[in-house]
Amino acid sequence: MKKEPQNEWSGKSRGGASGYLIFVFIIRRAGLGAAYALLSLVALYFIPFAPRATASAWQFSRHILKKGKFASALFVYRNFLNLGISLIDKTAASAGEDKKFTFEFDEPENVSEILAGNSGAVIIGAHFGNWEVGAPYFGKYGKKMRVVMMDAEYQSIKKVLQAQNRLDAFSPIPITDDSFSHIFEIRDSLGRGEYVAMQGDRLTPNGKSSEIIFMGKPALFPLGPFVLAARFGYPVIFYFAVRKGLRKYRFHFSLYEPLKRDSGVKPETDILNAYTAYLETVVAKSPEQWYNFYKFWL
Amino acid sequence: MIDAALIDKINNVLAEEFEVDIQKITPEAPLMDTLDLDSLDLVDMVVLIEHNFGFTVVAKDFIGIKSFNDFYHFINNRINEKGAPK
Repeated sequence: MKKEPQNEWSGKSRGGASGYLIFVFIIRRAGLGAAYALLSLVALYFIPFAPRATASAWQFSRHILKKGKFASALFVYRNFLNLGISLIDKTAASAGEDKKFTFEFDEPENVSEILAGNSGAVIIGAHFGNWEVGAPYFGKYGKKMRVVMMDAEYQSIKKVLQAQNRLDAFSPIPITDDSFSHIFEIRDSLGRGEYVAMQGDRLTPNGKSSEIIFMGKPALFPLGPFVLAARFGYPVIFYFAVRKGLRKYRFHFSLYEPLKRDSGVKPETDILNAYTAYLETVVAKSPEQWYNFYKFWL
Repeated sequence: MIDAALIDKINNVLAEEFEVDIQKITPEAPLMDTLDLDSLDLVDMVVLIEHNFGFTVVAKDFIGIKSFNDFYHFINNRINEKGAPK
């Protein structure tokens, strides 16, 4: 039997398309409040029935955040609950109910200038908060957002979008195991002045990694997004959307500023270091909104 | 017939970029194994070709390139097709 690697993500997320569609149905028929109410029970269900994710959230709380056992039990529940809320809110916002939400922006001037210009940009986010809820915001600049993701993850999303007749609303760049075509798609997309969004905090099968001290302990980060960002020479923006309350989100942006030349640090390592430093600050403030449910730390 | 100067340029660029002993680069040697390329190194290869040989590559260009000799012919043909600077 093939042993599943411990420190990487399989490319498949828990909770299938059917479960997702049930929530879409409830949001449409009974509203967001009813969806949240059902979620409070579903989050409880996942604690025993998603043991790997539960163990991962528990370890994060106990060994990284140094919380006690009772606080960690609460943390695990809140972690699952927050993930569910982010999925519900994302679904509602993309289904035209975005006016029910409040969005705040932490967008420095140098980021606004990049986004308003003609150049493509690499946007690196994380499995944190609810970055997708802000995707429509990027549309105000009249550019297309291309999301790089594992093909298995895309196939799951595709079923939901097909059921909603919204396949055109999403423009991914899928990564398959046996093809390098995503590299060329990313390059061409940036060349057309589009935004290419990648997540920088999850190790994928067979992916190269770099060991970083993250929140006090060593962890492996994927090198792929940072190599791509470094080589193609487009502006790199770190982007995170944090839930600040009921139907309220704050978008954080930061433009990556390269170190001086001749520093001896590889460009991809420099971007990765800047990214993990920024991610560390946002995760430390809202750890229950980080959704990396696998053995992340070494 | 491929210009020897072009082959030298290709070999030097590849040896420097991928930190390989240039003596290991021979026409019949396997490209991927000799340079120890993985998918991320392919990003470097794409950028390297564009910067050094003046044309853009697409995914299908890499199909069928097994040896350095295949690679020399690919670069040579594309330079001749496009009239890009050597």
